Amino acid sequence: PLRRRKRQAPKAPELPILERRNWLIHLHYIRKDYETCKAMIKEQLQETQGMCEYAIYVQALILRLEGQIQPSLELFQSCAILNPTSPDNLKQVARSLFLLGKHKAAIEVYHEAGKLNEKDWEINHNLGVCYSFIKDFQNSEEQLNAALKLKKHDRTFMTLGKVHLLAGDTNKAIEVYKSAVEFSPENAELLTTLGLLYLQLGRYQKAFEHLGNALTYDPNNYKAILAAGSMMQTHGDFDVAMNKYRVAACMVPESPPLWNNIGMCFFGKKKYVAAISCLKRAHYLSPFDWKVLYNLGLVHLTMQQYASAFHFLSAATNLQPRLGELYMLLAVALTNLEDVDNARRSYEQAVALDQSNPLVNLNFAILLYNHGDKKGALQQYQEMERKVNILNDSNTEFDPELMDMAQKMAAALQVGESLEWTKPVKDPKSKQRSAGAPSKTPGSSQQPLGTNQALEQAMSSAAGYNKSITLPTGVSHHSQPTPPSLALEEEPDVETTPTRAPQPEE
Amino acid sequence: MEIPMDPLFLAWSYFRRRKFQPCSNICSKILEDSPYDQAAWSLKTRALTEMVYIDEVEVDQEGIAEMLLDESSIAQVARPGTSLRLPGTSHGGGPTPAIRPMTQSGRPITGFVRPSTQSGRPGTMEQAIRTPRTAHTARPVTSASGRFVRLGTASMLTNPEGPFINLSRLNLAKYAQKPNLSKTLFEYIFHHENDVKNALDLAALATENAQFKDWWWKVQLGKCYYRLGLHRESEKQFRSALNHQEVVDTYLYLAKVYQRLDQPITALNLFKQGLDHFPGEVTLLTGIARIHEEMNNITSATEYYKDVLKQDNTHVEAIACIGSNHFYTDQPEIALRFYRRLLQMGVYNCQLYNNLGLCCFYAQQYDMTLSSFERALALVANDEEQADVWYNIGHVAVGIGDLTLASQCFKLALAFNNDHAEAYNNLAVLELRRGHIEQSKAFLQTAASLAPHMYEPHFNYSTLSDKIGDLQSSYTAAQRSEDAFPEHVDTQQILKHLRQHFAVL
Repeated sequence: PLRRRKRQAPKAPELPILERRNWLIHLHYIRKDYETCKAMIKEQLQETQGMCEYAIYVQALILRLEGQIQPSLELFQSCAILNPTSPDNLKQVARSLFLLGKHKAAIEVYHEAGKLNEKDWEINHNLGVCYSFIKDFQNSEEQLNAALKLKKHDRTFMTLGKVHLLAGDTNKAIEVYKSAVEFSPENAELLTTLGLLYLQLGRYQKAFEHLGNALTYDPNNYKAILAAGSMMQTHGDFDVAMNKYRVAACMVPESPPLWNNIGMCFFGKKKYVAAISCLKRAHYLSPFDWKVLYNLGLVHLTMQQYASAFHFLSAATNLQPRLGELYMLLAVALTNLEDVDNARRSYEQAVALDQSNPLVNLNFAILLYNHGDKKGALQQYQEMERKVNILNDSNTEFDPELMDMAQKMAAALQVGESLEWTKPVKDPKSKQRSAGAPSKTPGSSQQPLGTNQALEQAMSSAAGYNKSITLPTGVSHHSQPTPPSLALEEEPDVETTPTRAPQPEE
Repeated sequence: MEIPMDPLFLAWSYFRRRKFQPCSNICSKILEDSPYDQAAWSLKTRALTEMVYIDEVEVDQEGIAEMLLDESSIAQVARPGTSLRLPGTSHGGGPTPAIRPMTQSGRPITGFVRPSTQSGRPGTMEQAIRTPRTAHTARPVTSASGRFVRLGTASMLTNPEGPFINLSRLNLAKYAQKPNLSKTLFEYIFHHENDVKNALDLAALATENAQFKDWWWKVQLGKCYYRLGLHRESEKQFRSALNHQEVVDTYLYLAKVYQRLDQPITALNLFKQGLDHFPGEVTLLTGIARIHEEMNNITSATEYYKDVLKQDNTHVEAIACIGSNHFYTDQPEIALRFYRRLLQMGVYNCQLYNNLGLCCFYAQQYDMTLSSFERALALVANDEEQADVWYNIGHVAVGIGDLTLASQCFKLALAFNNDHAEAYNNLAVLELRRGHIEQSKAFLQTAASLAPHMYEPHFNYSTLSDKIGDLQSSYTAAQRSEDAFPEHVDTQQILKHLRQHFAVL
């Protein structure tokens, strides 16, 4: 009976179907079992004499995952020859070209693929990315917007925002990121980027909100921690900021911006030696970072180590020659090194470069006054008043010490009529601020000044101011977001090998 | 009338004052007159030996063959922290490659280079031949321990008219009978002629003659076995010598054997045992510190070096190691004090002034910095040293922000030493700042091929290619960077970013 049954139901014929085992290959591939998958593909290709499209396709995907883009490109090309009407194959060819850095070729192939399938967001997205690499921001924006119309994706938003930033349009970028966050509110990366953009524009409340959200979703996000910490620092919460940084320091023990911020935290808590050692570590790790050099100069000015301060500040000016405040600090150091001529030149440079900081002019005025140039001092004082009035319109707070000193200066120059901005309207607020700001007591007897006995007291505290004048800028400076927390850096992370110091001895 | 001194007495006196050449000349004269004068003969052998004598404890040089083809260690895959051949596995909290430069992957640059300093070993024969010749030991590597061969030829130079003793014509059995002659003869054969086989024959006969009761002969036998690569036999001899008499030398030899057998823990125990017998012995303490340093356990190494300094506060090696350690742990001021101590002791060479210059600069003692570097430049002995000094001056130039000067310094470093990978890397960074991408890429590639163990060129190349969109090269470079310095955060980030690119869409 057995035999009979067999005869009745003959075995299905083993047809050489090309696609016979695609499902198995696919299963192995999506389980990341690449070894078995490869063996399977080899077998299948031998059986079909290399005509199985899917096997070649998956083989190419695996090669790409392993970082071998060139061989994978060749395989995708043979896929495209086997099945020239499939947009997928063309897309993969273009993707491989993109990964190899051949952006123009990639754009052409993507256009080919676009002709085969017009409703594919991936094609538009990738075209946008390619255009942004060859700096064609106009086309890039169009393509990315088209991709967003077809389908919304976080990556498209991210790229579009970057393109806007590259083109220099921060407001548009913020709009893009805003809608992106609405679309996917749990993406920590988007939240961080948006928070950083707000931080750059000085909208602290919103920045804090977004960074806080980012940290709730991803408590170990290094960028968000750094940005949040620097915001807390701006408001004087040094201990809280330090706690944040402690988390980050375990993850990134060798990050120059992190050590820079920690150093400035110590500076805020008046632990100057600790601040210097942290900043010096940051400087060792990243010798080209002018912000670290600036902070080092600042701390050394506070420590009244003017030679070192001059050294760091002049290094910073070499690396960043277009910043007025740097020249001002340099001039302060030079004044204390008794090089008045160079100090004056440096102040002139600072005044020429600076647009909005009244401190520069005030310091210059003090220097001029101390060296008998009353007329120049008056001119600088008026310039300062002009800046102050502009800033007053935009409701900026002034450092109480600055106001104090300006009043004394006005008394000395006998121009005290237009000082309503120094009236302590915002006194409660400024006091609150000065609690966090470092050392604000101008020493009262550092330098014998002037011949006029009546002016002596005012001027001696002016001299004291001259010394501690750098502090307010310090507070405003270290609050700046540190380089890597910005999404786009101008230069790749420059690394130098540390000095190869100890050499054979004996 | 002048009474001539007794020539033998004069020769002895010269020998005691370590004037070996006059001593040997007088002995030759005596021997011409009376060829059977054993006193003069023995004295001349000693004088000739002392001229080329090198302490056997410090001569530990592995050639390429010993490093690769010699499988004397038992465990092939030792547990981390128990082997000298797996650098980087036992981290004792020392500074990472981001702060302290590396000689080979995972082994930080040391403060003091000895003939036996090994910094990592090559994996294959091909790799060993391709890497620079000084990358693994303090001297250029030869196929087998080449220094011994060179010593043998040196002996010819000291005696232009031919060898003093013709070894093949000696009747060793006869000499072994006379302990007075045999010891000097052995040292002559071993240190001057470098004929280990004959030395071994003589030592075997002599120790038999002494009824195996003389520890000195056992130690010499052990030395011979060690030279021949018979580590277990030499261990047996040294052990047995220790049973006769505790001598510091024997401990050091035995520890050397254990290190060659890749058993650092045994060596450490032995050293501690030795310290029980000789409390506070400096060489033993130094030995412990060296082993800890070889195993990358810098913290304990520093502890032991400090113990050394408590005993002997002029120990150059300990001072240099602690100094460099302080320099790389953010304390250049303290490092400066250690190096200044060396200067006070009368050490006067290029490396010291170079280190002083660096310490001064990083400790913000700007008045001393450049003068130290000038001294270092004045004292250079070869082009490599000059290149290193210029390289460091380049770092100072970067520190003061003068990038033109810095790039000139790095170029000078390259002019003096064309294989200076660090200078290539730094020059590439400077070129990139000026916007010369192609040039920067070329420099980085050169640096990466010259020093595959440095992570910086790989990482920089990876970031650079990533910027211009060439993700394939970026990925390969990032992988190499990860091999060189696995804990580097930025490399990890770039790899993650690249893998994401490869996976999606």
